[in-house]
Parts: sequence; C-alpha cells; structure tokens
Amino acid sequence: MRTRLAALAVGVVFGLVLCWSRMADPDVIRSALLLEQSYLYLFFASAVLVAALGGELVRRQRRRALLAEAPVGWSRQRPQRRHLVGGLVFGIGWAVADACPGPIATQLGQAIPWALATMAGVVLGIVLFQRGETGETEPALDLVASVERSASEIHPSLVGSSSDAPA
Amino acid sequence: MFDEQLAWYLAGPALGLCVVACRLLFNGRLGVTGGFSEVITKLSRRSLDLDWRGWFVIGVLLGGTLFLLLSGGPTFHDYGWLTRTFDGFGGGVAIVAILFAAGILIGYGAKLSGGCTSGNGLSGVAMLSPAALVATATFFATAIAVSFLIEALI
Repeated sequence: MRTRLAALAVGVVFGLVLCWSRMADPDVIRSALLLEQSYLYLFFASAVLVAALGGELVRRQRRRALLAEAPVGWSRQRPQRRHLVGGLVFGIGWAVADACPGPIATQLGQAIPWALATMAGVVLGIVLFQRGETGETEPALDLVASVERSASEIHPSLVGSSSDAPA
Repeated sequence: MFDEQLAWYLAGPALGLCVVACRLLFNGRLGVTGGFSEVITKLSRRSLDLDWRGWFVIGVLLGGTLFLLLSGGPTFHDYGWLTRTFDGFGGGVAIVAILFAAGILIGYGAKLSGGCTSGNGLSGVAMLSPAALVATATFFATAIAVSFLIEALI
C-alpha cells in the first residue's frame, strides 16, 4: 500500500510538472525540435544533472531502498544495435506527434481527445514488441552488476534482457 | 500561477528529483513506458496488481488532471502542425490516423531501445548508461531532423 501511494504521488508531481512546463503542448515541443527555443534543452539538462547527483548521493548514503527489499545500485548497459534502431523509430514518432509517453499520459489526464489516438498507437506498439520479445527491457528493479551476474547464474529469467546478452 | 510556463530552472530540477525519489524509494529507474508496459501486461492477465511502475504512470495521468483543475483548462486545443496542415473537412480523420501511426512508432521504438524520453533520456543518462546515451542521442537527433523535414514538406 505504501509503495502504491508513494509511486502514485511521485507520478502526480511528475505529470503536474510536465504540464506546468508546457511539455504536453505539441507546439512547444515542435518549436524546441526546430531549435527555435532553448527551454526544453535547459529543462532537460537541469533535470538530468539533478537526477545524476541525487542518484549518486542515494547510492552512497543508502544500502537499501526505502520501500523495496532491494539494494540501491544499478548496472550500466553496453549499447547494442537495438538502442540505435529503437531510438531512430522513437525519434520519428516523437517528431510527428510532438509528444512522448509522459506528455501523452498527461494529455489523457487533461481530457484532450487527440491523445486517445496517440495512446492507442503507443499501446499497440508496446504489444507488438511484447509479442516478439520475451525479456523486459525496463525492469521494475535495477539489479546491481554483481547481483545481476550471480542472479543470471541462478536463473537467466531473473535478469531478462537487462544484461548485456543479445535480446 | 499555472497560466505561465514554469521556469526551466525550477521545472528541470523538480523532474530530476522525481527520478531520485524512485531510486530512493524502490531502487527503480523512473520511466513512463515501463509503467505503460506494466499496466498492459497486468490488464492482459486480468489483474490489477500493479507494481510501482504502474502506479507511477497512473499518477502521471492524474497529474495532468490535477493541472487541468488548478489551471482551469487545457493549455492547448488544436493539435500543433497537424491541425494547421490538415484543416477542414476530413482533416480530423487524417490527424487521428497520423497520431495513431506515430504512437505505434513511439511505443515500439521505446520498448526496443529500453525506454522513452524519461526512462532512457532522463533516468538512463543520469545513470551514465552508455546504452541510454546512445538511444537518447539517436532519438533527439532523429526528432530534430524529422521536424525540419516536416517543416520543409508542409
């Protein structure tokens, strides 16, 4: 219950900030991608900086996550072909719709009818991918490198495709 | 207060803190597409027993609703370049078809590359994951190129 409420609360803040910063507005995204406005890039860079510094601080200060029986830490993945191809496919869709998954969710929350079409497409895209793949590319828990190695020795399904093995 | 765009130096760090919160609370990588996948997988098994990613993404949607209530209305009505280009009779059908097709690319592409703008772009880059850096550089470069291409065609 505490996990659900905490995740819901973080999501509400995330969605509210996305709307407040106008990242749900397709014209704002479009002018950013046409390099007419610097807002998105400054916004993105400052978010990454805070996330990186905060994440490192959490990793150094805490051995366990507050609401999960999991040690704090993560492994870094080597790039594979799918990261390049997936990024290419995603980038085309993002530029056409001028919305990515977070803003699409907030558009739905704002009762913007167009978002139903985009969301239906996203769901189909995810389902098409899931039908063809077995591993989870975005696991709920990040396994630490050493843990990941030992986990994969116990059972490969524990780590899914988050290891460096080909998907 | 909500009728003006929040300054980037407040909005960016606030978003970054959401990433840190997911690390601290769940040792999780914040990602909206991961949340969508969780909801889709569980619903297909006729279950509502969502893990944190599913509840997070429901929160993101409700964050949009909260913004709507606080600001008194959505920040936009027409859908960007699509409305301007496909105006008039039958235009709505074209826009729906294009958004649906773009959505497929967004969903499939995000899963293939292991995350979207939040999962790879925000969380993955902050984790200094080389895979996320490659995916993020690729989707940003592609989206900029495609936007200029659309601008040249319309």
